[in-house]
Amino acid sequence: MKIRFICLLLLAFTAALLSGCWDRKEMNTLAIVLGAGIDHTPGNQVMLTLQLARPGYTLGAANGGEEPGIWVVSETGRTVYEAQGKLANRLSRRIYWSHNVILVFGEDAARQGIRRYTSFFSRSMQDRETTWVMVAPGQARDILETSSVLEDSSAQAAAYLERAGTCYGIRFLDLKVMLAAKGDNPVAPRVEVVASGVTPVLDEEEPVRTKSAALTGTAVFRDDKLVGWLDETETRGLLWLRGELEQGVVVVPSPDNPGKYSSVEIIGMHMKVKPQYDGNTVRCNVKIVTEGELREQQSTEVDITQPEIHAELENKMAGVIANEARLALNKAQEEYGVDIFNFGTAFHRKYPREWAELQDRWNEVFTGVQVDLTVEANLKFTGLTGRRGSIKE
Amino acid sequence: MLDKGKIGSLQAVFLLVSMVLPTALLYISAHTSRHAGQDGWISLMLAVFAALAIARLAVSLARRFPGQTLFQFPEHILGRWPGKAVAVLYVWWFFHMNAEIIRQFGNFLVAAFMTHTPLIVFELLIVLIAAYAVRGGLEVFTRANQIILPFILGLIIITNILIAPEIDLKKLLPVFSDSGAVPVLKGAVMPASWLGEIVIVAVLLPYLDRGQKAFKIAVTATLITGLILLITFVTDIALFSPQLTVAALFPELSKVRIISLGNFLERLEAITMGIWIAGGLIKISLFYWAAVLGSAQCLELKDYRPLVLPAGVILLALSVMLHENIIEQVNFLGAFWGPYALFLFQTGIPLFLLAAAAARGLGGQERQ
Repeated sequence: MKIRFICLLLLAFTAALLSGCWDRKEMNTLAIVLGAGIDHTPGNQVMLTLQLARPGYTLGAANGGEEPGIWVVSETGRTVYEAQGKLANRLSRRIYWSHNVILVFGEDAARQGIRRYTSFFSRSMQDRETTWVMVAPGQARDILETSSVLEDSSAQAAAYLERAGTCYGIRFLDLKVMLAAKGDNPVAPRVEVVASGVTPVLDEEEPVRTKSAALTGTAVFRDDKLVGWLDETETRGLLWLRGELEQGVVVVPSPDNPGKYSSVEIIGMHMKVKPQYDGNTVRCNVKIVTEGELREQQSTEVDITQPEIHAELENKMAGVIANEARLALNKAQEEYGVDIFNFGTAFHRKYPREWAELQDRWNEVFTGVQVDLTVEANLKFTGLTGRRGSIKE
Repeated sequence: MLDKGKIGSLQAVFLLVSMVLPTALLYISAHTSRHAGQDGWISLMLAVFAALAIARLAVSLARRFPGQTLFQFPEHILGRWPGKAVAVLYVWWFFHMNAEIIRQFGNFLVAAFMTHTPLIVFELLIVLIAAYAVRGGLEVFTRANQIILPFILGLIIITNILIAPEIDLKKLLPVFSDSGAVPVLKGAVMPASWLGEIVIVAVLLPYLDRGQKAFKIAVTATLITGLILLITFVTDIALFSPQLTVAALFPELSKVRIISLGNFLERLEAITMGIWIAGGLIKISLFYWAAVLGSAQCLELKDYRPLVLPAGVILLALSVMLHENIIEQVNFLGAFWGPYALFLFQTGIPLFLLAAAAARGLGGQERQ
């Protein structure tokens, strides 16, 4: 019995050694990174900006009046790791990357090419491939220096926005896959600081106007270099053409009156690309099939329960979607000359032999690709109302 | 018989799965897609066929000499000294292979989890535990494996289910036109040399409860391992595309890092680490045991246990000395290990022994 007890005691004691001696990490010795930003400085250096969680403020500190639970630091270096090393020398705690949720590239850095920065993040064993990537017009630092009213930090808020599918969300993994594919070019959401709301303050003349980071479109790359932007409508087109739209509202003109609109919530979609090649020209048949739910109808004249009206609304919806897709397509083909729709990969899969010749000048070929777009829109549900009550018999 | 242990058929299947699966799992996709790109699954299937042929070869050979292991019957076939030389070669191979595995074991833990911890710490710990298991004998680590392997298989299945929403099987297209026959064959060499470790049935046969089932056991184990490796390869490619799979040192680890279910079930690397440590222990113990048993049988000792600790020291020293750094080992295994293990120890020598035995009419006719 005594021996058993001693054994048990010894066994329990080993728990103290389990964390290891050289690589132990204690919560109270870590500076937890929530967001990271990469900027290119005029001296051809990298400026790394880190949004760190402030100890003691980490949870629930977002209530008005209190200080936000974050702290933002920046440093420059020839490499990302050098900049991080310089920061580490100034911080009393060890920089810990495992909880980093966003990676923001500043515009200059993105224009110079992002491959020189991505290596640090793929080699790191702390950083994750699930980190959300975004590009800021201007400096990445400005994005990280904002705070969030609803979340603990602006990094988390931006990550939630991106995850929710408000724009074309790209994780670091997706970015790497896009960079590695020859028939594709990377895209990433554009993140900007915008005036976001007002916090009323008692006994003061001026309420506090808050600014926060928001996703306002898409950055378009040629290989690893930023070439331009898509606005929010064009981003929708991009999502349609990549078959990645998860949610969103299509505003459709009413069949009887173009000045009045109906809102349709997208509940599902499917996209198929069929490339065709005759040795000279490449054509792409793109078919988009989508399902929606009618959520709003301004017109009081038309009866949605009538099959022909229903069908007409579906047609108009298909037209709106096709138009959005065309906007993105035209911009990519005519203005930027890059395939951001992964059509090259679809071509590669169908014509593996011909791809060998075309792959190195695919973007050039892409600008001349004739795209035949068909959109099929299905209105599956109409909310809790069928025919509007105000429609007269 | 130096080891009095006897193991049942199911135990043997489990042991042979643990021999290859846990470590191959981590590297398979990178090594195979390096040559064959997204067509590596064809390579893997070829490798499974090669391993089945090797199993057939090893069983046919060992059946001719009941009660004898791979370290004993070469003497009967080739005469005392040439036979001993062959046995010593195999002992060396088991030492060498195990040293490589121990190095891989340590490399992974240091590279992926604990950068500041010296490599030797992990290697020493695993060799000590394996030495303890080997002293206990074949039955001991076989039984331990009976508990460990179901956990490993369960964890592999769970991770693959969790990653399922992320995968895009279209990344496996186009089939066979980016690679072609030669790259696919090249891609098959490495997995074949891993699955071909099944040649160890020529050592295990005398210790099987029902020796006549040896081939069935080897086939079952190879098919289970092959199937899981195939699933692993397909999901890795469908997740990362071939380019990124080749770039990753540990594609399986990268895969588990992606898992994020509902933003709360994530950071599951501990699973990979658990599979690696538990499976690695069984694998290292088995080859350790084979090396020690082989040494004792070559030297015609009465007991193999006095050799366990000295052999451990050799293994540890060898594993540290073999390679300067991780890239050197990856390159060595990628370029040299396949032909070395596959063509020499898994097919070349056994074929030669079988041909010589048949030509000299040695050993009882093989019975089904």
